[in-house]
Amino acid sequence: MDNNQLPTKFDLIVIGTGLIESILSAAASRIGKTVLHIDSNDYYGCNWASFNLQTLHNFTVSKLETDNSDDDCLRIGNNLFDIKNFKTTWHFSDAQSNNPEETEISVTQEDLLAHSRRFNIDLVPKIHYARGDFVQLLISSNIARYVEYRSVSRVLTYLNGQLEVVPCSRSDVFANNKVSVIEKRMLMKLLTSLEKIEERLQDENQCKKSFFEFLKDERLSPSLIHYVLYAMARCENNDSVKQGIESTKRFLHSLGRFGKTPFLFSLYGSGETAQAFCRLSAVFGAIFALNQTSLKGLKTTDEKLTHILNGDQEIFAEQFVLGAQYAPQKFMKKLEIQQFISRAVFITDRSLLPSEQEHLTLLMFPPEEGKNLITIIEMGHLTGTCPKGFYLVHLTSKQISSPHEDFQHVVQKLFNHEDKEAPAILWSCYFSLPGIDNLDVCESLPENLFLCSGPDLDLDYDASIKKAKEIFIKMYPDLEFLPRAPDPEEIIIGDDHEAENKEEDKSV
Amino acid sequence: MASNKKVLLKVIILGDSSVGKTSLMNQYVNRKFSNQYKATIGADFLTKEVTIDDRTVTMQIWDTAGQERFQSLGVAFYRGADCCVLVFDVTAPNTFKSLDSWRDEFLIQAAPREPDNFPFVLLGNKVDLEPRAISAKRAQQWCQSKNDIPYFETSAKEGLNVEQAFLAIAKNALAQQNQTVDLYNEFPDQIKLTNTQRPSNGSDSCAC
Repeated sequence: MDNNQLPTKFDLIVIGTGLIESILSAAASRIGKTVLHIDSNDYYGCNWASFNLQTLHNFTVSKLETDNSDDDCLRIGNNLFDIKNFKTTWHFSDAQSNNPEETEISVTQEDLLAHSRRFNIDLVPKIHYARGDFVQLLISSNIARYVEYRSVSRVLTYLNGQLEVVPCSRSDVFANNKVSVIEKRMLMKLLTSLEKIEERLQDENQCKKSFFEFLKDERLSPSLIHYVLYAMARCENNDSVKQGIESTKRFLHSLGRFGKTPFLFSLYGSGETAQAFCRLSAVFGAIFALNQTSLKGLKTTDEKLTHILNGDQEIFAEQFVLGAQYAPQKFMKKLEIQQFISRAVFITDRSLLPSEQEHLTLLMFPPEEGKNLITIIEMGHLTGTCPKGFYLVHLTSKQISSPHEDFQHVVQKLFNHEDKEAPAILWSCYFSLPGIDNLDVCESLPENLFLCSGPDLDLDYDASIKKAKEIFIKMYPDLEFLPRAPDPEEIIIGDDHEAENKEEDKSV
Repeated sequence: MASNKKVLLKVIILGDSSVGKTSLMNQYVNRKFSNQYKATIGADFLTKEVTIDDRTVTMQIWDTAGQERFQSLGVAFYRGADCCVLVFDVTAPNTFKSLDSWRDEFLIQAAPREPDNFPFVLLGNKVDLEPRAISAKRAQQWCQSKNDIPYFETSAKEGLNVEQAFLAIAKNALAQQNQTVDLYNEFPDQIKLTNTQRPSNGSDSCAC
């Protein structure tokens, strides 16, 4: 593998392979811009990456080499966006001591590590609305050819001390034996007339109500309120009626496209997504260089960035896109991370709610005991994220105190070791992700520098796509955002003359 | 596996930059060769149908899209490969020396279930050029040391041995798929998002 130097002139330099950076890299490359895309890590995805078990277990926040040899440049990187409270634990001893009669747990830490590469553990697990913007963009840009998906096969909620399947479709509603006939009618009536209700509320000036109050005023029974509020709308108790209706509509709108729920999950984990955009970018000529640990700084002239210093190379570009963690400290003085995302990942020995087939489950755990709504995704081996016989359980919520405390009640209720039916946690990983998505407070940014925020609390990527598109429009106001890439069969590779024509076609 | 089932083989081509990976693909699939060196712009994957023992299989050959140049191929590239083609340039000794690290990289990233039996094929490309730096004997010795990897000497420019090499690749990939669980059996019901995809009829279409 030859260790050649990077070229030194580009239209765009992208630093960081997080999702938004990767979308922008693909979009610029796709319209014929020359792109250099680099990352100081030796993996794709930054805070959006997926790791195998061994790598995640030994995860440390990577640091750029500090080198003070050249002080008149803007040093790249800040520590505001580092992952915090990172802790991993093996639980084999607990599982066994609490199950003295159960001798079946013969699996060991070494067994799991031997299958380390069968695990693809997301830092930020995302699922997608089947008719959401993200899925539409994947299809319209043809990036869909790089990724396979699975349907989320059931949506669960936790009601009256137990897990229940949330009826998603009309047949689910009618087949559900926990809901009375009257409740069924009430639910159908609500779900089929959301548009009208929205109009009516606007007329009556009732938009300031919370969605929870609204559902109570509609005289829905407590279980129906629970289904709609938490599982379908994913609302907290004080979220507005407008927000509630909008997210319920999104849920309903994506039903019936694939599978039984409105949701899709990417095979092999969410870390594949940034890589799919990077692949498209590379196919259209972008140069990729990971593991650039000697990335030093940015140089400016007259309030504009001119080039980067990478090792002993000066690399010039017209525009610069940086993942927020790569932004020089100078621009981040006013930025404070006020919101963190609490995350936990468990490897377990069985499903939370076992059934004949393996499920990919979304469980919205309602706010209880002063804690926030928790999004729980349970995935089995059919998702390509863990070996057969195990499950990965991802917990995500807005942080209150620490991931450990935010999820403690869930662990006690769902992973109770005394109850032999409940799954045993074999390995756990807790961490906090900086959840900032407002970078407007950044000071005096050069006009050709664009910063991309990191992961958010949303279930899906739609907000991230919106952000990427906003930056794209600022950089290239008159150009198309990710037009359809030709299929391989449509690319005719002929003699040199034809090939040149092809090049011209592509940049149009 | 039922023999009437449509078989898709994913083949990936690895090797140093400018050994002729893209040219070999194009020569095989399109029977075209371009002398103009472009660091793999626009090359994604090419598909070709081949018949092996009366079975029609679709070979999907994935190019590195230039991401190998600075060792930046992500793990996603390696997913579900049925065969790995290693390529070196017979006139450039460094590209031969890199073969070990490419093979190791593949085995680490793709993590095949049976690494010792995973099908690799080695191609020594550019045999039309002089001076020759790596002899056929030396390449064959390397192949023997790696569990008898098949070796072909090719010229993408002149189309020499390219057809034969890819046929061997397809055969080995198919044998591999027959022996182990293939991607579609391992992960049934996976969804490919394409424009032509229709809503599934099996489930209820809408709540309203």
